[in-house]
Amino acid sequence: MSIDNPEIMETPTGEAVAEAPSLTEVLPELPTVMDEQDLIIETRNLSKRYGRLQAISNLNLQVPRGAIYGFVGPNGAGKTSTMRILTTLMKPSGGEAYISGYSVVTAPREVRRSIGYMPDFFGVYEDMKVWEYLDFFAACYEIPEAQRPGLINDLLELVDLAHRRDDMVDKLSRGMKQRLCLARTLAHDPQVLILDEPASGLDPRARIEIRELLIELAKMGKTIFFSSHILADVNEICTHIGIIEAGQMVAQGPIKTMRQQLMPHRVLVITLLGRLDEAKEALLHVEGILGIVDLPPEDGKIRIKVEFTGEDLRMSEMLQALTSKGIPVVNFAEESSDLEAVFMKATKGIVS
Amino acid sequence: METPANRSRISLNPLRPLLRNPVALKELRGRMRGPRAFVVLTCYLIVVGGFTTLLYIAGTAATYNTTGEVDGGTLGRVLFGSVVAIELFLVTFITPAFTAGSISGEHESQTYDLLRTTLLPERQLVFGKLFSALAYVFLLLLAAIPLQSIAFLFGGVDVEEIVISLLVLLATAIFLGNIGVYYSAMTHRTLRANIMTYVTILAVILVTTAGAVIALAIVEGLDPSTSSSGSEWVLLVARGIFVCLNPLTTLLSTQQYLVNQQTLFTFKYTFTDGTTTTLPSPWIAFTIFYLLLSVAVFFATTRHLKRIEG
Ligand SMILES: Nc1ncnc2c1ncn2[C@@H]1O[C@H](COP(=O)(O)OP(=O)(O)O)[C@@H](O)[C@H]1O
Ligand SMILES: [Mg+2]
Repeated sequence: MSIDNPEIMETPTGEAVAEAPSLTEVLPELPTVMDEQDLIIETRNLSKRYGRLQAISNLNLQVPRGAIYGFVGPNGAGKTSTMRILTTLMKPSGGEAYISGYSVVTAPREVRRSIGYMPDFFGVYEDMKVWEYLDFFAACYEIPEAQRPGLINDLLELVDLAHRRDDMVDKLSRGMKQRLCLARTLAHDPQVLILDEPASGLDPRARIEIRELLIELAKMGKTIFFSSHILADVNEICTHIGIIEAGQMVAQGPIKTMRQQLMPHRVLVITLLGRLDEAKEALLHVEGILGIVDLPPEDGKIRIKVEFTGEDLRMSEMLQALTSKGIPVVNFAEESSDLEAVFMKATKGIVS
Repeated sequence: METPANRSRISLNPLRPLLRNPVALKELRGRMRGPRAFVVLTCYLIVVGGFTTLLYIAGTAATYNTTGEVDGGTLGRVLFGSVVAIELFLVTFITPAFTAGSISGEHESQTYDLLRTTLLPERQLVFGKLFSALAYVFLLLLAAIPLQSIAFLFGGVDVEEIVISLLVLLATAIFLGNIGVYYSAMTHRTLRANIMTYVTILAVILVTTAGAVIALAIVEGLDPSTSSSGSEWVLLVARGIFVCLNPLTTLLSTQQYLVNQQTLFTFKYTFTDGTTTTLPSPWIAFTIFYLLLSVAVFFATTRHLKRIEG
């Protein structure tokens, strides 16, 4: 059997890569965080210096239990440094960090028991079989020998590698190694997963698989704290985001709040067949309208951009105002306040 | 619950408790997988066996006594001593190679952080690495016992000597292994760890050999009429220390006392003024000293690994 193209050979469902699901498929519903105050990861004025470089300054990270928290920022912002402190691999220069209430400095063992960590770059032991690899880490996590075979099978099932159980680890593709490493982080059933750029360097299909896996894990009750320098990664699967820039937290919170806080102006684009002035007149009577701008026509149809603040109710009122006068509306849609815009806004002026 | 089945499993495998150490199990699995372990063992036996054959040929020619017969006892001792010396040489070079990459290699393959965030105690990591490397060295030593035993055919060598030589070789391997793991923990680069290990070992060999030679020369040159027994004591102890720090001189002088005085655990020393004293045989001091030093190095390694980088 050729291993030249393991990715094609190994799609778990047996389909070819070309038939991969579309990248915009509907994702399962995200878990909801019960208590925003129940913080499972918390840092207070966390700082880290490398010589003269201040990599993290006064970072106050707040990750509630059960969240999928996307830690976003450009390369060099300090994401990896923060994670290495949280995973007890590095001492902070100042401030405190707690996981499940345990200090990463004074109670590293308890912290290690609570977390599963996947670094941004990691190696696998090449001279081992897949099951031996998991068995080794299960043993390192003090799982009794008798429980390990069952556990290994469950983990492999979860990450879709059950069929590779007896293969050598170095025969796996990059995406599969990533999933194997994820399985490894789950060996001791930790409450928190700390994943550093889990999607980087993966092809689109492997990306989707990881994303679905994360949602599944969140549903199992795990808190997921992961970093990314790509906003698209966090847009769809996060319940919370934190934006870090040059070692400082620019904004953080539940994703809905973030969108509202940072984008108080909502934008509506309306396409009409005619009667532009009447339409403008009608809209001006609706509360909350901030301004109306003409857009260049498209296919001869008139387009206007309406900026407003407030709830969805405002949109319904606007539509009613137009239709009650018989104005021919052919399209009526809010421009999504996508995270890219939130991000640009939040980091404006800080980017060097 | 103790079923007959699992009781027999335990009794059949005395290594089982040691293999509870996940690192030892993983390393041994990796080391014994594939042809490498077999190839190293074969090469080792070929080298030791080849030298033994050469020595046998050269030795039979050189030890004809006056009556025209081969002096069996002398030939036996020469053969035995040579095999041990070759083993010592190989152990000195193989053990660091097996251990100097043990921790730094985890950094180089980017697996160290994964290991570090588990619950595995640092002591188990160090012990596992050390045990798996030494188990293999031990296997090499055991495999060469038949070659050592050829000396029995000629007489002049006792079982005790084989046991003592094994002890000294083993203590040497344990110490060198600890030095290798220590440097491997101090740096993230295997190449640097190797260099530091070999330089340290070379320094120990040079200093102890030179020291023993100089102390010996001074003792030999003592003039009975002028020396006081006090200064002779100082020289005796100094020489003893240098002799017992070097495995080769330890083995040579142990064998010398065994042949000349027929004692295994002690030897008598006669001062120039004619008085005598009884001292422990060098192999005892050597083994105890290096085992203690190994324990100290082991804990230094563990302590260093426990440190969280700043
Ligand atoms: N070990 C280190 N020594 C010196 N500087 C470092 C070290 N690790 C990271 N840095 C610097 O600290 C800053 C933050 O890095 P990092 O935490 O890796 O950011 P990110 O993961 O967000 O890309 C960068 O400027 C990086 O160059
Ligand atoms: Mg990073």
